Amino acid sequence: MKKIITVAACAAALLQAEVVGVKPVQERSFVQSQYIPDISLVFDASYASRNKDQDELAGIVIPGISEDVFSQGEGDGHGHSHSAYSSNNGFNLNYAELIFSANVDPSFSLDAIFHFTEDEIGIEEAYFTNTTLADGVRIRGGKLLSDFGRLNKQHPHFWDFNEAPLIYEGFLGYNHLNELGVQVQYTLPLDEYVMIGAELFQGQNEKSFGNESIALATTVDSVEIESAPAPSMFVGYLKTSFDIGNTTIMPGVSYVYGQSRLHHDHGGHEVAFDGKSSLYNAEFTIKHYFDSYSFLTWQSEWMHLDREGDEYHAEDPALPIEKEAQRIKQEGYYSQLVYAHDQNIRIGARYESIYKNDYAFIEETLPSKPFKKYTAMAEYHFSEFSRLRLEYIHNNALYKEGAIGFESEDVNTLLLSVNFSIGAHGAHDF
Amino acid sequence: MKLFLLTLLPLSLFAHMNVAVSYPYIGAITKAIAKEHVSITVLAKGNWDPHFVVPRPSLISKLRRSDALIMNGAQLEIGWLPPLIRRSANVKVQAQAKSFLNLSAQLELIQKPKSVDRSLGDVHPDGNPHFHLNPNNILRLAQVITGFLSALDEEHKVIYEKNLEEFYLFWQEELKVWEKRMEPKRGMKVIQFHDNLAYFNAAYGLNSIGTIEPLPGISPSSRHTLSLIKAIKEQKACCILHDVYHSTKTAEYLVNKTGIKLVIMPHDIGALDSVESLKGLFDYLTKAVSDD
Repeated sequence: MKKIITVAACAAALLQAEVVGVKPVQERSFVQSQYIPDISLVFDASYASRNKDQDELAGIVIPGISEDVFSQGEGDGHGHSHSAYSSNNGFNLNYAELIFSANVDPSFSLDAIFHFTEDEIGIEEAYFTNTTLADGVRIRGGKLLSDFGRLNKQHPHFWDFNEAPLIYEGFLGYNHLNELGVQVQYTLPLDEYVMIGAELFQGQNEKSFGNESIALATTVDSVEIESAPAPSMFVGYLKTSFDIGNTTIMPGVSYVYGQSRLHHDHGGHEVAFDGKSSLYNAEFTIKHYFDSYSFLTWQSEWMHLDREGDEYHAEDPALPIEKEAQRIKQEGYYSQLVYAHDQNIRIGARYESIYKNDYAFIEETLPSKPFKKYTAMAEYHFSEFSRLRLEYIHNNALYKEGAIGFESEDVNTLLLSVNFSIGAHGAHDF
Repeated sequence: MKLFLLTLLPLSLFAHMNVAVSYPYIGAITKAIAKEHVSITVLAKGNWDPHFVVPRPSLISKLRRSDALIMNGAQLEIGWLPPLIRRSANVKVQAQAKSFLNLSAQLELIQKPKSVDRSLGDVHPDGNPHFHLNPNNILRLAQVITGFLSALDEEHKVIYEKNLEEFYLFWQEELKVWEKRMEPKRGMKVIQFHDNLAYFNAAYGLNSIGTIEPLPGISPSSRHTLSLIKAIKEQKACCILHDVYHSTKTAEYLVNKTGIKLVIMPHDIGALDSVESLKGLFDYLTKAVSDD
């Protein structure tokens, strides 16, 4: 008996020794794995079927608003690499987004979002945020999505529809306001939510804003437009929100002002613009919750673009460059309704219109009827991290330039898209 | 309901501090300790799923003006509180502040998974976070909150400690009542929707043999429901203890197929209109289970 006990004790001691030999991770002196930031990956792919083949889609425009609507993403030379999502008939890998997020030290946190498309990587966002400056002031700096309007700061995987509204793509391009600069936001110490914010940006939007010098030349003439001092874009907004029972109401107004040095080449016809643009936005969201999982959201945004300056045309190499005083006023809105039945099923519809498209100077006659787009969608969420979406889009904002001016080219799209996210993905704002 | 509204009143005349708490039960414990010395703002509604609180912007304003924040923790708030804290830009409610309290760090959690993988559903990696449903834990939480408030407001330390003592005696009496009421139910087999009564079941020896959701956070499937029917029949489960926020559709189907009893179990104050206090919550739970 004694012997058995001794043996057992020896064995126990041995076992003990072995356990002591390998220390648990947290006791190994130089291991830093506990400091790995939150990492997540968001994946988005789709299958598109349209009433027009790829060649027919190639030359489609929204006259006076967008060139090359189904672009394949040549970018604008500033590291932007977005093209229109799901622009190919058939299969599309829209993006994979890699997201890192962690506290830097007691004073700052850092977020970085890398946007991968099949052939390119771009820094979608990379910014620091203060965490200790007191009293409702939040400062961010780096490259970031502006808090202009309702949709601008949301990443595409958080949108309720696959495509951005016409007013966003038309006035701000596929990247929206995604700029280098600083953002300061202040939440007022009131019972109701009132937030004011200001942003100062470098000002390199692909569609409406720019500050770089432009040189135009024909064989007989040349024009040099000087660069504007950067930063050359300012954004300001006021947002508020209040609750009535289980209904949250969220109105807001936003404004962007910036230099517009814009340069486009329409197949040998070069156009340069030297002026300034203002973009006004009014947003209104009302969301009613029936219970923890079921809600109805009505969300709308209106935008007004006002661009003024000189427009230079270099059309024929043998002729002088023409200079025209230009003033562009464009206006439109979208309005959408989304109903979540439970955690799994969602349906929604969106109506959009750009109803004002005034040019002080234009060579072609623009279509007089408003540009309209209709979208309907249905989603199935397998969990919080995976989603299947079926969407039907009827777009009658689209035209082709024919011999006698613009000819309407309605495009109908049936989209089936999937979105997955893995890893530690932070919760979204309201 | 009245009491719930009262706790939402912003500034009482005597209050030294505005304390924001994530869930109503934390508000009730804090109120018992601090009485009129703090004003309490409850962020989540008691009748909705605690995992899916809507991060409405009005909550940012509430956090913006708070002097302290007490949360449940163990990732129960992961889906809604972090963006609110960030947006509030209030130093006092940031996780590193001494005026921030994570209750889950002060208790031993059960069901802590050895490893996590989302193919197993939306598992809580730190363990089951619904610890307040073991009434014995309430005393520990009250003690923790007393220490927390005393550190922030030393001037009233004596008052907080006296209130804790009072609460302790009161709760001890109630614990005996609940214990006595639940004693005959020990070993009873139950079904739940989500395992949010794990601590309640552990406290009173109830045996949870399955959940209506096949995996945490995954909606009921017909295959899983069929296997539940089998389990209910074979193991003679007595009842389905169902939360107030999920649809009872699948539960009713099970009732239909097996004749099992369906019992609605509030998880927090305000989950049902009749549950107006912490004592009321456990009175209701113990009665609901022991009523034959």
